[in-house]
Amino acid sequence: MKPILLQGHERSITQIKYNREGDLLFTVAKDTVANVWYSVNGERLGTYNGHTGAVWCVDCDWDTKNVLTGSADNSCRLWDCETGKQLAMLNTSSAVRTCGFDFSGNIIMFSTDKQMGYQCYLNYFDLRDPQQIEDNQPYLTVPCAESKITSAVWGPLGEFVIAGHENGEINQFSAKSGEILKKVKEHSKQINDIQTSVDLTMVITASKDCSSKLFDSTTLDHIKTFKTERPVNSAAISPIMDHVVMGGGQEAMEVTTTSTRIGKFEARFFHAAYEEEFGRVKGHFGPINCVAFHPDGKSYSSGGEDGYTRIHYFDPQYFDFELEA
Amino acid sequence: MNMHDTEDMPPDVDYDEDEPSFSDPEDFVDDIDDEELLGDLLREKPQEADGIDSVIVVDNVPQVGPERLEKLKNVIHKIFSKFGKITNEFYPEGPDGSTKGYIFLEYGAPTQALDAVKNADGYKLDKQHTFRVNVFTDFDKYMNICDEWETPEKQPFKDFGNMRHWMEDPDCRDQYSVIYESGERTAIFNNDPKDPIVAEERARWTETYVRWSPKGTYLATFHQRGIALWGGEKFKQIQRFSHQGVSLIDFSPCERYVVTFSPLMDTKEDPQAIIIWDILTGQKKRGFHCESSAHWPIFKLWFSFYNYFRRYPLSKTHSLLQSMGLLDKKSLKISGIKDFSWSPGDNIIAFWVPEDKDIPARVTLMQLPSRQEIRVRNLFNVVDCKLHWQRQGDYLCVKVDRTPKGTQGVVTNFEIFRMREKQVPVDVVEMKGDPESKNAFAWEPNGSKFAVLHGESPRINASFYHVKNNGKIELIKMFDKQQANSIFWSPQGQFMVLAGLRSMNGALAFVDTSDCTMMNIAEHYMASDVEWDPTGRYVVTSVSWWSHKVDNAYWLWTFQGRLLQKNNKDRFCQLLWRPRPPTLLPLDAIKAIKKDLKKYSKIFEQKDRLSQSKASKELVDKRRSMMEDYRRYREAALLQHQEQKAARLELRGGVDTDELDSNIDDWEEETIEFFINEEIIPLGE
Repeated sequence: MKPILLQGHERSITQIKYNREGDLLFTVAKDTVANVWYSVNGERLGTYNGHTGAVWCVDCDWDTKNVLTGSADNSCRLWDCETGKQLAMLNTSSAVRTCGFDFSGNIIMFSTDKQMGYQCYLNYFDLRDPQQIEDNQPYLTVPCAESKITSAVWGPLGEFVIAGHENGEINQFSAKSGEILKKVKEHSKQINDIQTSVDLTMVITASKDCSSKLFDSTTLDHIKTFKTERPVNSAAISPIMDHVVMGGGQEAMEVTTTSTRIGKFEARFFHAAYEEEFGRVKGHFGPINCVAFHPDGKSYSSGGEDGYTRIHYFDPQYFDFELEA
Repeated sequence: MNMHDTEDMPPDVDYDEDEPSFSDPEDFVDDIDDEELLGDLLREKPQEADGIDSVIVVDNVPQVGPERLEKLKNVIHKIFSKFGKITNEFYPEGPDGSTKGYIFLEYGAPTQALDAVKNADGYKLDKQHTFRVNVFTDFDKYMNICDEWETPEKQPFKDFGNMRHWMEDPDCRDQYSVIYESGERTAIFNNDPKDPIVAEERARWTETYVRWSPKGTYLATFHQRGIALWGGEKFKQIQRFSHQGVSLIDFSPCERYVVTFSPLMDTKEDPQAIIIWDILTGQKKRGFHCESSAHWPIFKLWFSFYNYFRRYPLSKTHSLLQSMGLLDKKSLKISGIKDFSWSPGDNIIAFWVPEDKDIPARVTLMQLPSRQEIRVRNLFNVVDCKLHWQRQGDYLCVKVDRTPKGTQGVVTNFEIFRMREKQVPVDVVEMKGDPESKNAFAWEPNGSKFAVLHGESPRINASFYHVKNNGKIELIKMFDKQQANSIFWSPQGQFMVLAGLRSMNGALAFVDTSDCTMMNIAEHYMASDVEWDPTGRYVVTSVSWWSHKVDNAYWLWTFQGRLLQKNNKDRFCQLLWRPRPPTLLPLDAIKAIKKDLKKYSKIFEQKDRLSQSKASKELVDKRRSMMEDYRRYREAALLQHQEQKAARLELRGGVDTDELDSNIDDWEEETIEFFINEEIIPLGE
């Protein structure tokens, strides 16, 4: 399959996300830019300009009306998806690392980094209450004293947020009270990414401990483990097949030898039930920072340290492939 | 005025009775003993034992009459003053006035007496008189030996089980040790081509690394306080040797002794840097002082027949010691020696001495214990020499770097000594190319070929030579433009791996030297080590955490270069194959087996096929059960998902978004342009 190459960023990609219907792909990077593209042909729709620091996260609500971004410029911004106009800016005391709309699209959450004397906080805003936005007063703010949040997603019905921490812990934070409903520690190192399955029943984590794990969203039961030899930066669950995709590699700072094998950072496909790797896709010139499946499961995308995002449509053989069982 | 007793004097009227009394109260008990108060003085109090420790008895002294006594005393003085000041002497005389033939001498300190005993005992004064010197206290000791013989207490027999248990594996799997998690875990695996099977795994079994004994019986682990030996089926602790700060060890080939080296503990009086231990009894045999820690193994090679070992400080001389004692009470001193090496097969040592003014450089082969020089070879304009013995000791190769007169450059020659032929003839092979580059040289084990790597990267050449019986050394083949910096022969000979380790990114070439063909060319990126198994069937290439911080793993290959396994191990450090003891079969039994090899091959092939299909069946079964579990979980999850549908609809204002096509009414049709092709048509003139 020949991938579609999206060249719209000058620095490494930090996150990519499809909207619910899959026709749009959002990409954000360290170059302060947030882009949105048509996933079918890679044509760029537009840019959300305003951030003055690296953009760490992006999310789109279920109706593709609003877009949320979080940045190292200590702000979380709300945008109108179609026009690109900035609707609201919420200032914070430290960088915004992760953000997201809940199932209804009415409540947003974002977490801030532990930086410069400030703790890590998980903030909740209700968009139906304009006062909260105006006053920059979240209706709920949860401090995380121990280990900062490195990635987070909403639970199935907007009741809680599932957060991954720097120490490998996963916690469920209630959206009503902020208390920790459940916690597990299955990873030994930082959780780099958490993504949900399309029906929100499962979450997959990607960790620096070179493995990726599948959990049930509600119970946080550990279901599967996928092992590699490199730190995993991102993982996603296929909407239609029993597959997961993982992307990773060394951190840019740790790459001291230039391998003669250029373009050899690979996205790896594992069978979700057998926990066995069955395929790899090459092409990136640096570690892969984020992967995402198209909601219809017929394609997937990966954003890399090299600043490129690649959209891959699967060949028919991909859907027929089966491991002997 | 008369002297009166003070007691009788009347009290002085001026005496002030309020002055404090300095006498002890009546019930005072003195609780400070003399030792505390006068300790230092008491220590100097003369004691009966003093002086006896410094007395020696010299026997076999000539019996002389009084007229020659003075002369005798002078001679004794001359000899024995060397060890210290003689403070006292006693020459007992017999009834006839001549000395009895034994004398007593006293020194200033016991150490001097010991020195005298050590060095003067056995001193030959003349043909009839050889001194026997002992410390006086020894007599006491020997006199008091109990007449009754007490049988030593029987130590309970520690049964360690079958020490060769791993050899009895029905599938003939060899074992190897793996250190990973940067040293936290050590495991022993049975090498199965499918997947390694864990035999034993322990956390913090060793603090740094491990070593196997030469016949594979023991595993030695390193600890701050010493080393421990493990063995038997369950790897129980066999023996423990306490040597603080031990850093290096070496075993004798017969596995009877082990020598440990620690740079920490060392004093001239009690040399403890190097200690030799008896493995079976656990006793410390000897301790040695070490001048420099740079050169290890100091005890190069041991023999199974004789208990030789050699000590080699990096200074000008080296000493030879035998059976934990000095050979002939004289060390073998060769001044200016640069390097030496034992023959792996015989009691022959090879060493070389660089040029010294008019004397050219020399390579000498010396037989021990006779110290006969079997062969000497003079070399001219030598810059450096390296000694390479063939595994069985059949050949010695001396790689000589020379600067021929009148030239500036350095050329390399290989001087091949044929050890098995009369008078050890030497053949010379000239090496073309720049010897400044790091050459590698390796003999074929069990054979008479050798391989050389020479040249500068990227044009490194691998040459293969055959040392023929007819006196010729033939260049069989040369491969050029190789990415290799090391040669690894199979321990059985014939096959080998040329590897470009570390900076050459792990390029591997598998060669069959019977016809010098490249069987396979492969790569293990950033490989740092290559290890053959003892049978020569498998090769392991590995990336050690000590040299590269990511991708730590070991890969298993067949001897032909077919990759069998990739084993990732978190922070993998070291893999060592367990050596095999030499075969117990006599030569003709081996010959018979080789003849019937076809018959055995068939049986083994069948066995392999069966295990393969068993493996796939196992895998299939495993997958099936995993899928069943997964499906069950998914069904339950989906059920819950269904139950929450109402809540979902409410959250999205009645819009059903469960499937992408649940809301067809909402769909819009859009036309999108695709970029298909670009054609540039130049407009004509």
